[in-house]
Amino acid sequence: MSGVQDVRQRNKGKGINRDASGPSSAVDYDDHNVAYLPSRSYIESFLNTEEASAAVVAILTIIAFFTRFYKINHPDQVVFDEVHFGKFASYYIRREYYFDVHPPLAKLLFGLAGWFVGYDGHFDFENIGDSYTENHVPYVGLRALPAILGSLTVPIVYAIMKECGYSTIIAAFSAIIILFDNAHVAQSRLILLDATLIFFLSLTMYSYVRFKKLRYQEFSPQWWGWLLATGTFMACTWASKVNGILTVVAVGVAVLIDLWDILDYKKGHSMQYFWKHFIARAAGLIALPLVIYLSVFWVHLAILSNTGPGDAFMSPSFQETLRGNELLMKSHEIRYYDTVTIKHKDTQVYLHSHPERYPLKYDDGRISSQGQQVTGYGHEDSNNQWQIIPTKALPETGRGRIVRHEDVIQLLHVNTGTVLMTHDVASPLMATNEEFTTWPKDDHSRYNDTLFHLRLSDAAPGEAWKSKSGHFRLIHVPTKVAMWSHPTQLPDWAFKQQEINGNKNANEKGAVWYVNEIVDSQDPDLKAKLEEVEMKEPKRLNFFKKFGELQLLMLQHNAGLTASHPYASGPINWPFLLSGISFWTQNEGQKQIYLIGNIIGWWASVGGICIYIGILGADLLARRRGLEPIPDDVRNRLWNSTGFFIIVWAVHYFPFYLMSRQLFIHHYLPSHVASALVAGSVLSFVLSETINTPVSAWGPSVKPRPTTYADHGVKAPVMVAVFAIAMFSLYLFISPLTYGTPGLTGEQVNARRLLSSWTLHFAAKESGNI
Amino acid sequence: MKPADVALNFGTPSGSPRTSSDFEELNYPHHHTATSNSPTGSLGWTAVPRREEELPLPHYMSEDTARRRVPRAPAVDGGETFVAQDEKHPMDYDVYDDGGKDVYAKMKAARGPVGSGRLRRPPAPPPTTVGELIQQNLEHIPPIIYTLLACWTRFHKIGKSGNVIWDEAHFGKFGSHYLKREFYFDVHPPLGKMLVGLAGLLSGYDGSFDFKSGEAYPEHVPYTAMRVIMATFGVAMVPLGWYTAVELGMSWRACHLVALMVLFDVAWLCISRFILLDSMLLFFTFTTVFCLSKFHNQQYHSFSFDWWMWLAMTGISIGCVTSVKWVGLFVTALVGLYTIEDLWDKFGDLKMPVRDQIRHWGARIGCLIVLPILVYMASFKLHFLILNHSGPGDAQMSSLFQANLVGNDFASNPLDVAFGSKVTLKNMGWGGGLLHSHVQTYPVGSNQQQVTCYHYKDENNDWYITPRWGEPEPDAEGPIRFLQDGDVIRLRHAATTRNLHSHPIPAPVTKLNHEVSCYGNLTIGDEHDYWVVEVVDDIKRGKKNNVDKIHSLTTRLRFRHQVLGCYLRAANAILPQWGFKQVEVSCEKENNPGDVHTYWNVESHWNDRLPRGNTKFYRSPFLRDFWHLNVAMMTSNNALIPDPDKEDILASKPLDWPFLRLGLRMCGWGDNQTKYYLLGTPVIWWAGTTSLVVSLLVLAVYLIRMQRRSLGEWDHFIYVGKIAFFGWFLHYFPFMIMGRVTYVHHYLPTLYFSVLMFAHLVDHFVLTSKRFSEKTKWIVFGALSFTIFACFWWFRGLAFGMDGPINEHWGLRWRRSWNIYND
Repeated sequence: MSGVQDVRQRNKGKGINRDASGPSSAVDYDDHNVAYLPSRSYIESFLNTEEASAAVVAILTIIAFFTRFYKINHPDQVVFDEVHFGKFASYYIRREYYFDVHPPLAKLLFGLAGWFVGYDGHFDFENIGDSYTENHVPYVGLRALPAILGSLTVPIVYAIMKECGYSTIIAAFSAIIILFDNAHVAQSRLILLDATLIFFLSLTMYSYVRFKKLRYQEFSPQWWGWLLATGTFMACTWASKVNGILTVVAVGVAVLIDLWDILDYKKGHSMQYFWKHFIARAAGLIALPLVIYLSVFWVHLAILSNTGPGDAFMSPSFQETLRGNELLMKSHEIRYYDTVTIKHKDTQVYLHSHPERYPLKYDDGRISSQGQQVTGYGHEDSNNQWQIIPTKALPETGRGRIVRHEDVIQLLHVNTGTVLMTHDVASPLMATNEEFTTWPKDDHSRYNDTLFHLRLSDAAPGEAWKSKSGHFRLIHVPTKVAMWSHPTQLPDWAFKQQEINGNKNANEKGAVWYVNEIVDSQDPDLKAKLEEVEMKEPKRLNFFKKFGELQLLMLQHNAGLTASHPYASGPINWPFLLSGISFWTQNEGQKQIYLIGNIIGWWASVGGICIYIGILGADLLARRRGLEPIPDDVRNRLWNSTGFFIIVWAVHYFPFYLMSRQLFIHHYLPSHVASALVAGSVLSFVLSETINTPVSAWGPSVKPRPTTYADHGVKAPVMVAVFAIAMFSLYLFISPLTYGTPGLTGEQVNARRLLSSWTLHFAAKESGNI
Repeated sequence: MKPADVALNFGTPSGSPRTSSDFEELNYPHHHTATSNSPTGSLGWTAVPRREEELPLPHYMSEDTARRRVPRAPAVDGGETFVAQDEKHPMDYDVYDDGGKDVYAKMKAARGPVGSGRLRRPPAPPPTTVGELIQQNLEHIPPIIYTLLACWTRFHKIGKSGNVIWDEAHFGKFGSHYLKREFYFDVHPPLGKMLVGLAGLLSGYDGSFDFKSGEAYPEHVPYTAMRVIMATFGVAMVPLGWYTAVELGMSWRACHLVALMVLFDVAWLCISRFILLDSMLLFFTFTTVFCLSKFHNQQYHSFSFDWWMWLAMTGISIGCVTSVKWVGLFVTALVGLYTIEDLWDKFGDLKMPVRDQIRHWGARIGCLIVLPILVYMASFKLHFLILNHSGPGDAQMSSLFQANLVGNDFASNPLDVAFGSKVTLKNMGWGGGLLHSHVQTYPVGSNQQQVTCYHYKDENNDWYITPRWGEPEPDAEGPIRFLQDGDVIRLRHAATTRNLHSHPIPAPVTKLNHEVSCYGNLTIGDEHDYWVVEVVDDIKRGKKNNVDKIHSLTTRLRFRHQVLGCYLRAANAILPQWGFKQVEVSCEKENNPGDVHTYWNVESHWNDRLPRGNTKFYRSPFLRDFWHLNVAMMTSNNALIPDPDKEDILASKPLDWPFLRLGLRMCGWGDNQTKYYLLGTPVIWWAGTTSLVVSLLVLAVYLIRMQRRSLGEWDHFIYVGKIAFFGWFLHYFPFMIMGRVTYVHHYLPTLYFSVLMFAHLVDHFVLTSKRFSEKTKWIVFGALSFTIFACFWWFRGLAFGMDGPINEHWGLRWRRSWNIYND
């Protein structure tokens, strides 16, 4: 233990030399006497009493509630992504199935909030700027939920810092960065998911810190309690928004480091001991979160039992579990010689043909076959009708006449009496794909080119082809191309209809079609069936199958969100607050909501991270040369506690560099919370090399170590007060952009454009008329 | 070193247990004299008496069992620097002398200087007879045999296809440009292409063929000779692979494995047999790794001659590989990582004098940073020296550079620009092009005629300088009005008569700027056609105050839109396919006087009424041209992005490579053609990739064992593992995040590291393990060698050329995704 003694001595020496106050025996005082330690400055001791701490956190919380709730009813219009998330709340209340890339917890909470305030879900949140008051939507109740959670984030941030052993004033510093941050305020006042995400994220961090502090009392009830709390909140974060998965990764990294430490032979633990720890964490941080995550989805699917706008995303078997679904109601087996209309799944156009022919020569000089055009057409028309012609002998009647998976068929265009075919001629728009055309039905010279293989999606051999639910690919027999379409219009000669061609890669997404309707059938019973409108009972499907399908679709669609957006920004811009998002504008009164943070807080946070990396780098270099400039205790604090914040920050930030989907600055907000924590601990280190130890609870096997106290003297409260005033002033200054009121003149807008990269509306300098 | 020191060292052997063999003892006197003549001990025949187990033969390859347990810093071996260390650890040898290298068996942690590369072998005595000479050099027999075999595989039927295969179309053509000394532009640095040119020169090619893709070579093109010269680089890969394995300290069987895999990989073989850059790229990648491993083995002989030499060789090799293709930067990064780790170790060595620390840093900076940059720049210098005639790549360079090319007529342009002149305008940003317009219109925004920046010369780049609407057109008889600072002009596009125009519509790519278009005609137009000429300065005459009239080429101008106040700018935004991937021209709202992308100069200038100039221009400074060309290369390289509208059957994605999902047809696939298919030997690729995954698992297991303190020596494992893994990772991962279009041959340098990893793992677990008998090792080695060879033989046709209908070559399609057959 001599090393510890040494450290203590050195520590003490520094503290005293700097602050020149009191005898060194102070360190031996008991925890309860903290308030009047002679070695600490009066103000430090006072602030760290429980009463003072409670007062500080109470004040912060009250201000937080005030900032988040101030004029929460303004604007009474749909703002930015409220279009989506408000709509989803309506769907929950109407119990109609919808599809979204985000997991459902946060949206379920909105649904719940809506239900509490008596909202009946009638409003559709169609466009940004739609009025709530005119449509009688109790939107304040919906907005109150994130506002409450966003307000509570502030005391949680404070508590994290306190639990990590930082002084009251330092904890207040971190909390103030969040409290007066315009981005957090703006994001919490609207029907958006981020406030929920950040709330659960901070709770996860808090629980993990509490758990970690009990590491000497392993397997005690409290230890288990905080472990399970960590797992629970982690699952909630994960279930709130798709980037909550990063929280899981962050906790995972921290736990791995922890376990790696336990594994160290120098600690003298047995492998059995290690496995015990391992299993406990696996249970609390893998099994429990999974169960919670699944239950959220179970609730989600249980509530959304009716058909809704999300049906079309799902597989036919999934859709048939929804009450009132079209597939459930109108899906019928198709027989040979039935006349049907065929729709493209992705773009919802009909397979169409008309007597006009392809032009002999295209603009780029290529030559066509001059055959009859085959196009995709968006509207109902008799030219969309095709008859299914068999290529094999059929029985006179009975189920032998049903078309089945893997059958080879011909499609006869009813109006022109020609059959669908394709051949090795380049399509009008894509030289690599084959042209689709038709051929007179009586001319058998090209018979082979008119044969198509019917391949149903996920079908068992011999499965019957059904309208609506029978998704299929049509594979050309001689050349193996699949009938494919994409949202590109043909030129005027084809009336700007959509191109259909043969794609060599039959597994392309755009090659899936389905039969929309059986127009005319050979089956005498069908007529009757078509007319019956009884309510069919939905089919049942295993929850795990539904969950698996939904999860996969969410991932695919999330990755597919690559369309460009005028306010999307790259991750490199975020920490420096280079760009914001225009949420809402109103010409009348020149009002706007622009999501942008408090530049003082953001730059302080990113500065804190830079200083932290600098300190650690310098420390590593110094140690490499055998010097130890930082006392061990302080160094451990920097590595372990601040290190955890840095992990959370990095894990929530760097993965975005690898994502190709569209990114917005609000994706940085979780990282921003972590960076505020880093900034606090760095400030503590910079102000004074003293810390409060120990912060962890003693265990039976651990020898108690002497207590030391942090002492930042008078300068800390002064600095933090100045900082808070600066933050508050800037917050007030930018607040018209955050709250959307009052309106600003052009000059005022220009004054608030602190960085030239902010693209605010209603700027004074007119850039010209269009 | 003074002879006395050496003599002192010789005192020590008497204290060691015994010498290794009789003839070493016999040779001591020779040794003494030899060393006295030699400047450094390590070069001389310093006989090192082994203090431990006997070495049966001077042939170190049989040292399997002994290797790695021998301390790698014997004091007496040349002994300049590490005498002290041996004194510190007198017991080291005992520590090392236990157990096998089997990591599981060995419980004691290693201490002292632990080597990780090749075992330092005792220098042999000078041979006295021919027999002895041969015996001493037995180790070189296998690589010589492999080299001969490589000659056969590389040169066999090399001229079989008399057509231009694949990218020979590019690189052959570039070679021709060197022979004709015409300036061209390409995205790759020049060294490789200069070597192609040299190959052409050596084989007597006159540069007259234009290498059209797929065309048959005419009589006078000695393509076979050129291919042979290129293939020589491929031949050299094989001995380099062997010696690298030796230097990495692999056992003799593992060395054979590496050499066999390098020799028998069909993709390496195939790519080496044509006039392409890849054989050179691979060659220099191999030399870099070789030099690095050589250098590593000198780690306890800092600042000796060998140490300096191999460090410098590494630097030169880096310079060369980067001058062939930028892909070489990845192997540079590997060397960089190695060096950083090395220096970090040295930084922690508190006993090393500060002077040595500084020398170490200085040596690295000098040899690994400065030297490669010099090599890289030298290749460009040579490039500019050779290509001194005007050619197809002119427009990529600055106007001044072009003016200095032979065959360029800029010097005879009229000097002073006047109203009525026809001009081309060159953007002065790095890689900037000529202001261009064509009849195609914007599909977005105003739908008016497109204005772009274009890198090739054609008449769509020509503009007339005309006065404002209402002012009289320049009169053929009247006084000439010269263009001056502050003049308001219209720029009329010569080919379409439309005027350069801007309006407050967002530009198609840079949405924050105004769109620039061409609008109106000879009579229709408005005040949005007015541009104010602002002189920045003149390269020749200096500051703006000295500029009275605007000169072509040297005066730097900006064009301000009179109504909107924005500046004409062409930066590196590329238009989509509808703009033919040309550079977007927009009007920048902010006035940044320092932004060179808003600077323009008059390049070509035609005016019949003005006297032809006869100016001698300043030479364009080399550094400026060098930088300009590199930026242009970078810009073009980044523009090589996959076109979503076009299906490129040749391109592949990085994920397709490690398990060889796709091959590449290198030429036409007709029945009468000789067909080449770029595809690796599957077993080599699959085994290499698998070994990378296995290495990570093994690393995890070892780390855990270390944390539980049950792992002993692993220095060698981790050293080779790091080289192989990071080499692979650095060559592979960047392609994943790169936007540009990628092909399977981009994996070829990467493959080398997976080959090394495979050999290393086999070596580690089988060939040097104590748990297996010699017989087992023979069986494993034999089986692996046979599989590699058999697989190569099966697929040899892919590289040697296949005749006749492809579907008659049975059994080549091992994976369904290979498009080797027509179906």
